[in-house]
Order: sequence, then structure tokens, then C-alpha cells
Amino acid sequence: MNADPRGVFTGVHFIDGDHACCEGALAAGARFAAGYPITPSTEVVERFAARVPTVGGCFIQMEDELAASIALQGAVWGGAKAFTVTSGPGFSLMAEHIGYAAMTETPCVFVDVQRGGPSTGLPTLPAQADMMQARWGSHGDYEIIALCPNSPQECFDLTIKAFNLAEEFRVPVLVMMDEVVGHMTEKVIIPSADQIEVVPRKHTHKRVDDYLPFETNGDMVPEIAHAGEGYKFHVTGLTHDERGYPNMTPQTQDKLIRRLQQKIRSATDRIAMFEEDQVENADVVVVSYGITSRVAQRAIDTARQQGLRVGKLRLITAWPFPEGKIAELATKVKAFVVPELNLGQMVREVERAAAGKARTIRVPHAGGGVHNPEHILKIIVEAAR
Amino acid sequence: MAKGRVSIVVERCKSCGFCVEFCPTKVLALSSAFNSKGYHPPHVVHPEKCSGCDLCGMYCPDFAIYATKVPQPAGATQ
Repeated sequence: MNADPRGVFTGVHFIDGDHACCEGALAAGARFAAGYPITPSTEVVERFAARVPTVGGCFIQMEDELAASIALQGAVWGGAKAFTVTSGPGFSLMAEHIGYAAMTETPCVFVDVQRGGPSTGLPTLPAQADMMQARWGSHGDYEIIALCPNSPQECFDLTIKAFNLAEEFRVPVLVMMDEVVGHMTEKVIIPSADQIEVVPRKHTHKRVDDYLPFETNGDMVPEIAHAGEGYKFHVTGLTHDERGYPNMTPQTQDKLIRRLQQKIRSATDRIAMFEEDQVENADVVVVSYGITSRVAQRAIDTARQQGLRVGKLRLITAWPFPEGKIAELATKVKAFVVPELNLGQMVREVERAAAGKARTIRVPHAGGGVHNPEHILKIIVEAAR
Repeated sequence: MAKGRVSIVVERCKSCGFCVEFCPTKVLALSSAFNSKGYHPPHVVHPEKCSGCDLCGMYCPDFAIYATKVPQPAGATQ
């Protein structure tokens, strides 16, 4: 299905990542956002609040992040595509409702423009230290999808992708930006609506009397109905059966939670996107994501000029983690070098997937700025020895 | 024998009708009686059909209705 042209700001623009993210949401069909604006994500909803009334939607500034993250889910069950935007401190408050969205299979998008933490931390400075929180921030066993744009153009592209994945799998999808990507202004090309693929909601075709809200037909993703259409269903965060009714038995729990996990895990190869460059025959592969991938590019280029065989693996999808790719490379390379704006988060996944077959070297940074490429280069040179 | 029993807190009701609409076994109907605020609370028209699922209780915005399971006599079939 093509995008609704009313929401698509076609043209070549010079805008920052936050604004590009907003345009991505509009292009994807988002017509509702609830938020409690926070630096460095404010510009996303600032633009959305101005733009969305012109295409027939609305933005509500809520009383806090808990309210924002649940209001958007109400909008989804009412039939809208909806999202919210926040940064670390708000992301912590939204954790509860990310779990709720996972449990109730509510297709929605959370954007986290990461800043230095913990707590209030560094409101205007970058970090990538919410990566594990994105995966494990809510309680219980659940799966989410998380994407990591590294440019304003990707903020646009991946926000659309996030909405599409949310609809396809009925999961909350997290767009894990960082302050630099959010506030960096670059060229962003927005194609015409007929060139933007939008995944429609998986709406049920069943008659009202035959509809079971959490019944699946082979592909593990149930069909949805919206409030007010005459379908009678119950949505709850409690463990529920196919009818949506609470049913708190170990059997129902096992069936439901395994399905919620498997619907994502079994599709990892399809969901997990990455960019690779010269990883064949490489001695060292630099694994990075977000803004750090662009800093690392400088170090990779310099190392190659010095004659080193350095490959690049950029994570576009952080979760589900492309562990198959890492495991495959681990048998061929000497080492992985993992720079990131935290003291070691995604590197744990690299280390786990490499399973001791290749060295995994951390290049941590506490946040507040980006790495010095010279520093990453030094580690690459040491690793290649 | 009914598996469940509905309890209605008449004075809390604002007669939105959710319980009547969503009851899977159609136990309820809005009554013609008034509560002291002038609303028509629901009443039970088919007590034998109540399964005690408490969906009415989960839907009610005002905690004005709830259902409970009735213990079945020994030997009764489900």
C-alpha cells in the first residue's frame, strides 16, 4: 500500500534528524502522537503538533510520560497509527507501557533520542546508553524491535520502517536515535507518496460473531479490530487466552509468552538489517551503530589507507540482534572492535554471539560527546596485529 | 444452576450500557427503574445464563457491577 500523499512532505530538504523523524511518522500514516516533550527529542513533536492538524490528526501534550505512552495505545485501538517521542528520563517512565504494548500486541512506535544518563544526566549531549534498557526495560519476557538511524535521512526512512514493522508484527518498535543524529542538519530526500511503501493494519475480515481477538492463523500475529466497529473484545495486560479474557494458568501463560517471543525471534533474519562493507577477508570488523558508526568510518578509512584489512558492520536493527551474522564472521576474523557511546552494552551481544571464536574489544565512551576517531584507529591497529 | 452471580451497585451506575452490550451470554438489560441520580441501572433478566466471567466488572467504568463465580455442587458437570 502506498503512503497517504497528504502526510508526505515530498522534496529535497535541509532538516535535522528530529524533524526528519516527524516527517517519517507523517509519511507512515501517523495521525496521533501523545508526548511529554523532552530535550533532545522536543523538535519531533514540536513539528508534529504544527503539521498534523493540516492532515487530519492531533497531538496531545500529556501530563507525563506514563500518560503519553498509554494514550498512544488508546489511539491505536481506536484505529489510528500513533507514536510518542522521548529521551532517557522519559523512556524510563515509559518502560511499563512498552511491556503493556508487547503483551496486548499493540502496534505502535516509541522514539528515544538518547542523551547522557543515568537520571537527568546530560540533557543536551549525546549517548547511546539506553540500548539495553530498550531491550529489557520492562518486566517479564517479551520482544521488541529497535532501529538505530545514523543520519537525518535514516531518521526519516527508519521511522517509516518502524511503523511498518509495528503493523506487520504487532509489537512496539523503538527508534533509538541519539542527540547528535537528532540535532544534526543534513540533506533529507523525501520521495513522493507513491514511492513510499506503508504496511496497513492487519485488520480482521471476520464477522463480529466469529472474531476472537488473539486467535492466530499460522503466522503468530493475530488480526486486530478497532473499538467502535461492533466487535466485542477485551484488551488486558493480564495473561489472556484467544478470546482476550484473563486466564491465569501456567498453560495459557506458556502459550502466550512463547508466541510473543517466537513471532519476533523466528523472523530475526528478516527484521535484522545491517550494512556491511569489506567484511570478506577482513582481519578486524568494526561493529557500530548510530552516530558512532560515522565516527568509526573515519577510523576505518584511515586504517585501510595504512594497509589494514578492516571491515565495517553497521547495525541498523539493534534488536533483534543479528547474532547469526556475528557468529558467521567470528569464524573468519581476528577481532571485533565495538565503539559505542556507553561503557559496554551492545558489545555484550557481539561477545556472546562471537562465542570466543574471535576477540571482542570494547571502545567505551561515557557520553557527552563522540569518540575521537584517532582513539578508535589505535584500537583497530592493535587488534589487527 | 447458574455458574455465576451478578451484583449491581445501583447508585454508582450512569447507565452507559457497556455491561449490557458486552455480556457474552446476554444476562443483562437496562431496567426502567431510576437510581437517585435519574439513571437506569441494569438488571438481571437471565440469571441462569451468567457464567461469572466478570467481563461486566472489567468493562464498567464506574465499578458499579461485578460478577462472582458460584461454587458448584459436588458432582456437577462443567
